[in-house]
Amino acid sequence: MRYKDFELVDFLADEFFILWVKNPDKNTQHFWEKWLIEHPEKREIVLKAISIIRGVSYKEGEHLTDSAYIDIFENILSADKEKGKYGRGFLNSDKNNNIKNIAAILIFGFCAWMGYYHTFLYSEPAPVSNKTFVIKRSTPLGSRSLITLADSSKVHLNSSSEISYPSDLATSNRWVELKGEGFFEIKKNGKPFTVLIGGTKIEVMGTSFNVKVEENKLSVALMTGKVMVKDQKGNQVSLYPDEMLVMEKSGDLYKSDFDTLKVTGWKDNVLVFDSDNFENCRKKIEAWYGVEIILKGEIRKSWVYSGTYINESLENVMRGVNFTSGLNYKIENRKVELFN
Amino acid sequence: MKSIIKKNNYSVQPKVSSFHIEPPESIKEKPDREVWKAFDNGDELAFNLIYRSHVKRMYHYGSQITKDTELIKDCIQNIFISLRRKRGALGEVECIRAYLFKILTREILKNLKADKVSEIRFEEIKDQFFPISICPESIMIQREKEMANKELVREALGQLTSRQRQAILLLYEEGMSYKEVADTMGFNEVKTARKIVYRAMASLKEILVGQEIKPKE
Repeated sequence: MRYKDFELVDFLADEFFILWVKNPDKNTQHFWEKWLIEHPEKREIVLKAISIIRGVSYKEGEHLTDSAYIDIFENILSADKEKGKYGRGFLNSDKNNNIKNIAAILIFGFCAWMGYYHTFLYSEPAPVSNKTFVIKRSTPLGSRSLITLADSSKVHLNSSSEISYPSDLATSNRWVELKGEGFFEIKKNGKPFTVLIGGTKIEVMGTSFNVKVEENKLSVALMTGKVMVKDQKGNQVSLYPDEMLVMEKSGDLYKSDFDTLKVTGWKDNVLVFDSDNFENCRKKIEAWYGVEIILKGEIRKSWVYSGTYINESLENVMRGVNFTSGLNYKIENRKVELFN
Repeated sequence: MKSIIKKNNYSVQPKVSSFHIEPPESIKEKPDREVWKAFDNGDELAFNLIYRSHVKRMYHYGSQITKDTELIKDCIQNIFISLRRKRGALGEVECIRAYLFKILTREILKNLKADKVSEIRFEEIKDQFFPISICPESIMIQREKEMANKELVREALGQLTSRQRQAILLLYEEGMSYKEVADTMGFNEVKTARKIVYRAMASLKEILVGQEIKPKE
């Protein structure tokens, strides 16, 4: 069939015609403009087809935010690092020196940045059976990391914490053993997911929640979904969003609500002090920045400190402490001295 | 006459971060197949280019299938992670966007299926994929009973299958060729894509031509 015999539907389904309407280039413009002059009787139908093609659109749809755009990019690159396989080709890459240099700058900058945030200690998995083995991930004092598990669940790991999980987590047993503090975003996949803390189990399907293991207590704070906490003694407690369960070592259990920023802010690099006394402040700062605080001066017993720091430097936090306590500080070799 | 030489459209996205160095013109001009090959060979710049040229469109496209934006993000992330791990053993790709759209759809569907309790429910939500709209003004400019007809247009569009809507959107909105539509939708033959669009358009003909439409009893 030739274009002069085309009906509306034919135009609407014609690739060369659509190309002209959507992405006109020299070829299509030249052809169609000429053709229209020669076939004025088709003008109306062509205009109609154009307006329909232009009128069609997605009815709705989401747009990726810039921050998500960066996040995904970073997660992709950090996944490489987890595998210990870094930018394979680029080292032995080809002729183009210029490209190589730019790539090097790019990757170097990125590594430096990543190194700051995501210093994992990746220990060799210990073989358990022939196929399945346990993978351990930990964070040193002063750093936090985000780990994506094979089933696409995510674990934010707070400073000096550790998780262990089976290598076949995606396909069979979904469990993670936690020491320290972690924020879990568990993907639903039909199978339950269990977080183990000593003899206590947290069973979930698909949820997000924060778990903090301290010397004498365990706290579970639920953001979304539903979890079931079971301890060794046979206690079972269900949690609903915005509820926090605290289990004391003594065996006491209680539920409360919680301040999201205070409890989970750490995963977004927010350091929160909320009327914390000196001892608490010291613990928080030491864990957050991986430093040691040495008090050489005097501080009044009633001193408490509040403040919210997003991605802030140690220097800035110490300045705040200095301002309210009157103590001077000196930062040197991962040590902070406080004196009057 | 119908051989279409289509330039690949590497639209430059706004610079969002300093670690996204603008790729040199030389690589931007390259056809998809070569960019993909460079990526396969481990060229980080090629990866960068692929990411920045396609990820936003992938996300928008994914949101036509599911409203679970976290799921879309995870799928995109996992796709790139797994592609990067397979570098050195990747197959040839003619049109990167079509390929990425295809595997994104597959990944999202896989997750949706795992998430849904019953198959029936899944079939139900499948009908909702790729909602489409045609600006009614583009169809009947001089019509009087415009309001009534808007409803009819909506109804007619609703009767298209989700695959028909998908094909139309890929062709019109994404500006793909039939070859690329076929690649994206996983058809072996280009003519399958052509047929789907033609049939969809033919079924809308009454409304499109602007004849008086009798409302259904």
